[in-house]
Amino acid sequence: MESIVFGIGITALAGALATVAGAAENTESDIGSQGDPNSQVQLAPQMGYIHRIFNKAVAGEPPAYGLWIALGAGIAWAFMAMQINPILAIVLGSGIAVFVQGVYATTAYLGRTASLAKFGQPVYVDILKSMTTVTMAHAFVAIFATVTLCHLINAALGHPFPLPLLGIVWGIALGAAGSATGNPFYGKERQYQNQKFGAGVPIAASGNIVRYAEAGERNSLDNGWFSAKLGGPASGVCFGLIVFLELWRTVLFEEIGAGWGAIIIGIIIILVFTVIDRYIEVWARKNYGPYTKPAEEASS
Amino acid sequence: MTVKVEKIEGGIPHTTIMIAGLIASLVFLYLTYANVIMGTEYFAFFGGLATVAALIWGSHTIKHLCSYGIGTGVPSAGMIAFGSGVIAMLFATKYGIAAPIVAVVLAAVIGLILGYLANNVLNMRIPVMIQSLVEMAIIGALVLMGYAAMMTGSFELTSLTTGNVQILGLSLPSYQASFLGGALIATAFMLGAIAIQHPFNACLGPNWTQDRMLMLAAECGFLSMITAAIMSMPLISMSAALVSLFVAIIGWYYTYAKYIELSKRDAAAWLESKPIPDVEGH
Amino acid sequence: MSAIGAKPAAGAAVDTTAMVVGIIILLLVIGATYYLFGSGLAFMALIGIIIGGVLIGFGVHFVPVGGAPAAMGQAPGIATGVAMLAAGAGLAGLFGGAWAAEMGVVVATITGAIGGGLMMAITCMFVNFIYVFGMGIPSASGKVTKDPITGDTQPEFKSQGTEGHGLPFVSYVGGVIGGLFGGAGGTLIYLVLLDLYEEELPAMMNALPAQIVPIAVALAGMFAIGMFLVNAVLAAYNITGTIEGPHDPKFKRFPRAVVASAVASAICGIVAIMIVAV
Repeated sequence: MESIVFGIGITALAGALATVAGAAENTESDIGSQGDPNSQVQLAPQMGYIHRIFNKAVAGEPPAYGLWIALGAGIAWAFMAMQINPILAIVLGSGIAVFVQGVYATTAYLGRTASLAKFGQPVYVDILKSMTTVTMAHAFVAIFATVTLCHLINAALGHPFPLPLLGIVWGIALGAAGSATGNPFYGKERQYQNQKFGAGVPIAASGNIVRYAEAGERNSLDNGWFSAKLGGPASGVCFGLIVFLELWRTVLFEEIGAGWGAIIIGIIIILVFTVIDRYIEVWARKNYGPYTKPAEEASS
Repeated sequence: MTVKVEKIEGGIPHTTIMIAGLIASLVFLYLTYANVIMGTEYFAFFGGLATVAALIWGSHTIKHLCSYGIGTGVPSAGMIAFGSGVIAMLFATKYGIAAPIVAVVLAAVIGLILGYLANNVLNMRIPVMIQSLVEMAIIGALVLMGYAAMMTGSFELTSLTTGNVQILGLSLPSYQASFLGGALIATAFMLGAIAIQHPFNACLGPNWTQDRMLMLAAECGFLSMITAAIMSMPLISMSAALVSLFVAIIGWYYTYAKYIELSKRDAAAWLESKPIPDVEGH
Repeated sequence: MSAIGAKPAAGAAVDTTAMVVGIIILLLVIGATYYLFGSGLAFMALIGIIIGGVLIGFGVHFVPVGGAPAAMGQAPGIATGVAMLAAGAGLAGLFGGAWAAEMGVVVATITGAIGGGLMMAITCMFVNFIYVFGMGIPSASGKVTKDPITGDTQPEFKSQGTEGHGLPFVSYVGGVIGGLFGGAGGTLIYLVLLDLYEEELPAMMNALPAQIVPIAVALAGMFAIGMFLVNAVLAAYNITGTIEGPHDPKFKRFPRAVVASAVASAICGIVAIMIVAV
């Protein structure tokens, strides 16, 4: 009984860490315009819209976070193998991983911008200095929280994978969940604030991103402020639920029915989410209504 | 069937880079063998230099392949390179001193088959697909072997699987505290997979220049080498790890400064706290 | 994810000669394994790896991914790269499956599948949540006029100038199925390799079985991730990066990916087996 209570405590802590990590991850990537919305930041100068948005194209979020987390975990593992206290080891590992992240961010911005010289997009050194540090701070939160949760899973819950392997697994999952949830909110709602609300961006409008802020010219810190309102927390809850429910069903129900307990609970959770998803979809169809009359169906 | 999106103009031809990268990488890998001959670990840093050479070659191969527009992101090319390379590399470590050669040959075979699958079975019809996947598998295997040699001092399976744990001043052999047992290979995998795709992914665009991208590839290689040197600390002697770290930091600083210089040269303008310039019509 | 916009014109046509050559390579590898190692653990491992690889390659075709246009609400699907989203789900499944490894192959593989499906179910639900409550956009498919599962009509919910947006129910179901296949495939590769390495490594390294467990786990885990990525990227090449789900016409290309995944897994698998068995 005691071990189950302990397991649930660790599960809850891991879920909470994952929530923080997901929120920080998405805010970081939106400040850097990483992932798919990056295509618009890249496209805008080619359409004549010179901007002051940070363009940090390291890779898609899943591979990039696969590296940052695996690196933080690998260095933390190395320091722990040298008999350094795990907390200090994780902090040092995350710190060095963030240094690598920062260097990659600067080279990506310089490289992409220099390659757009033909369209007159200048390199803004102040953008480089102020945005890189902010993304590094967010990335540190994300990396530290995720490496800590990997360490908890390995050391306290007894998962067989060593720390770097868990890092690669949860790093890619973190990037996948964060980019899937957060990207549309930044890509559509923020970059194309000037387009109609409640509709996709017409393909003809591509590249015409919003470049001016409430006062002055928009930079990526304004974008971080915006995505921290919904995209970031939603990504956090998404990744937190993934980690929490995955651990919860295993810790509590794996012993029941020689493993089948966890499987049945997993199926039930999937069905619950399916019902929620269907409810959201139908709710939207009812309340937002069709854009055109159904009669035009045949012509489109 | 496919449209070539960007042309490679001028600069060093791809074949030259390929041959130079392959030879340099192999030579550096064999220089780490001096560790075994002389009974030290100070030559481990040559493993890191081997990864830098292979990554420079790899970034150009990615440029070669991805200039055709392969339909999915540039990073995926790095993933397939290392996914196939890791298998060839670990198998090759069984063969002692012949390991680097075995890795190259085996990776070439795996890459050839993957290339054939992508090009013919999946009907992608990209002229350089087969050659590129062969090169990428070789690069993946060489980079991982370089990191293995750098972190453990040797590229033989026994040294990858055995480590030492210091308990109360006593040194005990342990399988858990090793390059493979601790799964540091997973970190090496991601370090290489991102470093190989980043130079082209970061420098793509109409004003792509070859020297800038290759400089960035070297920078990524040395940056990864810094972290690999830190991870080698529990596996080889501290002084040997510090030698690697020192070499890596010098190399990284030089290439990073050079890369910023080249970006300054290529950029349209280099502005500090300036507004968006006026462009006609907007 | 890349700024290169041009999509390759890889057609839907099947190159019969290449398919036959692929199948011949596959049979050669299986035959060689049988000839070298007999019908023991090594042979079963190869078969497991091939099945796992095919599950991954097939599963990727279900995952609804819209790529960059999806982030602007211009195309339906999830706004990220298909190979890496599938990897995220599959590896989350592998995590659960590896944990349940001692429960036996069947239970562990199903646990892995559920882990992948769970990850995709939560992610897909949140995609729709953001679209509906964050951006006020209902789901609409661009490829079909009626959702094949619910029968909802699609075109009138498609906003002007786009190809559709969000995840219609059929895409959601596709995402979950893709996660299930990916998680099962990754876990299966891990389990068969783990069994083989735990069996063979002690003799090869002159060590006690308990001592080599970390090596066996790390090797099997690393190979499972490597083979997962190879298969996922090959499948992503097959659908040229984006797909809406099982109702998308591109889905019909899956036989090519099944052959490619089987051959690629066989080649990678025989090398991974030879590490301990030669």
